[in-house]
Amino acid sequence: MRIGIVSPYSFDVPGGVQNHIMDLAEALLGLGHVVSVLAPADDDAELPDYLVPAGRAVALPYNGSVARIAFGPVSTARVRRWLKHGEFDVLHVHEPFSPSLSFLAVVSARGPVVATFHTAMTRSRALSGLQPFLQPVAEKITARIAVSELARKVQVEHLGGGAVEIPNGVAVAKFASASPLPGWPGQGGTLGFLGRFTEPRKGFPLLRTAYVSLARERPGLRLLVAGPGDRDELYDDIPADLHDRVEFLGLVSEADKARMLRSVDVYVAPNTGGESFGMILTEAMAAGATIAASDLDAFRRVLDGGRAGALFPNGDQAALTRLLGDLLDDPARRAALSSCARQVVGTFDWPSVANRVLEVYATAIEATDGRVFDDEWS
Amino acid sequence: MPGMWWVVGVVVLAAIFSAYLGWTAQRVERLHARARSAERALDAHLLRRAAAAAVVAEQAESVELYAAARLALDADPGERETAENDLTRQLQKVVLDPADPAARTLVATSRRVVLARQVHTDQVRDAQNARRRVVVRLLRLARRYPRPEYFDIVEPVLPELPPAPLPAQAV
Repeated sequence: MRIGIVSPYSFDVPGGVQNHIMDLAEALLGLGHVVSVLAPADDDAELPDYLVPAGRAVALPYNGSVARIAFGPVSTARVRRWLKHGEFDVLHVHEPFSPSLSFLAVVSARGPVVATFHTAMTRSRALSGLQPFLQPVAEKITARIAVSELARKVQVEHLGGGAVEIPNGVAVAKFASASPLPGWPGQGGTLGFLGRFTEPRKGFPLLRTAYVSLARERPGLRLLVAGPGDRDELYDDIPADLHDRVEFLGLVSEADKARMLRSVDVYVAPNTGGESFGMILTEAMAAGATIAASDLDAFRRVLDGGRAGALFPNGDQAALTRLLGDLLDDPARRAALSSCARQVVGTFDWPSVANRVLEVYATAIEATDGRVFDDEWS
Repeated sequence: MPGMWWVVGVVVLAAIFSAYLGWTAQRVERLHARARSAERALDAHLLRRAAAAAVVAEQAESVELYAAARLALDADPGERETAENDLTRQLQKVVLDPADPAARTLVATSRRVVLARQVHTDQVRDAQNARRRVVVRLLRLARRYPRPEYFDIVEPVLPELPPAPLPAQAV
């Protein structure tokens, strides 16, 4: 299939949408498709082969943050030229209702158009006000994908039209092949936590209490914490004699995140709510960590009902402490859980996610007139 | 001559209005064509699902499931929605074996039915909204196209199978 993908944001700055597009494009290329990604970028920038620059991006405050996007007559001309020369079987735009290349591409294109919605846009009031003007543009989109339940809800309630939920993929190989941080996980056992430890719904206090009581009985047990937050605030609540057994990495890069997850014996997700998918669990699974997680619906689903990671009743301090103790004492159970996790995480690997996206492409192509459906496309 | 400007104004307005009409007529045609294509695609995927269900039913020697699949395959347009709903209900009761290729095909075709129905619903909604526009109704721009109807069935979703030891290629 010949696939044209449009990114609204520049690849000069890292971001969730850009990462998603790059991983998707590479997975589709890996499956043998022809992919071209149009994105705002300088013509002389270092770019992957499949990326077509659409000119310099300008910084524009949008939706509460600064987005580097391209919009205007020059960009329009570039979009049209790219569409004309691409001969795409399907056009895949991301965030089409931001003032961006994606919007220009939808306006300029005819035929099967698939749109992916990433954020749950908070500016929905402005959007609903513009609805009558956006309607003819929205009509050009044949099929819609939302990356989360929340994004899907916003799409359904404010923009009309359904959307298929296809979550982000995980680059399993990247996590599985990362090397642990030097000196970790060590002999005495290591517990790991990644996330904003000050956010109550992440449930870090549960883990902290469990760690403190476990560390009294196990002299070698260490705790590895990564995520945004103030170092002093973390150590304030931990007894002083345990400070040298708790390591805080702060905010980590994608590469260090993978290394961090490879450095722990048990990855703990004590979240008390607010998780709709559990991306971090899929990453920990890919890294081969044993997982102990609260039994939120989202976690239960990702962990295949508890086969791919041990579950404890949400918010139950005693149960978490007991579970962590059991896991630390039972290497065979840890190995069984993590080998099952490696198998289950295949479902969330980018190639299988890309296959789901390809099904949406096929559906969009079928629903668009003037297209011949032949074997090559299935 | 001030009278001239009045005439020019009317001509310009008429030109704009007729361009708008042309654009609207095209839009109505495009939306109806899409709703038709989406309907054909949905029909094809429903047939594929019923066929896949019949294969699974034969293997499992499930008389009820086989009957539901046959009824869905043979249903008249008026009874199609009920028949497909019955089939979905039967399918959701079946315990599928992740290692069985027929079961994987069935789950894959069900996924395609969900997608096709979603797109069909969207296209029908857009076409019906277009038919409701004042200009379209007054000038009967949609008179050449039959009114597209929703295909009203419960979400025919099947739970995903856990990965098999040797995962089958999706679709």
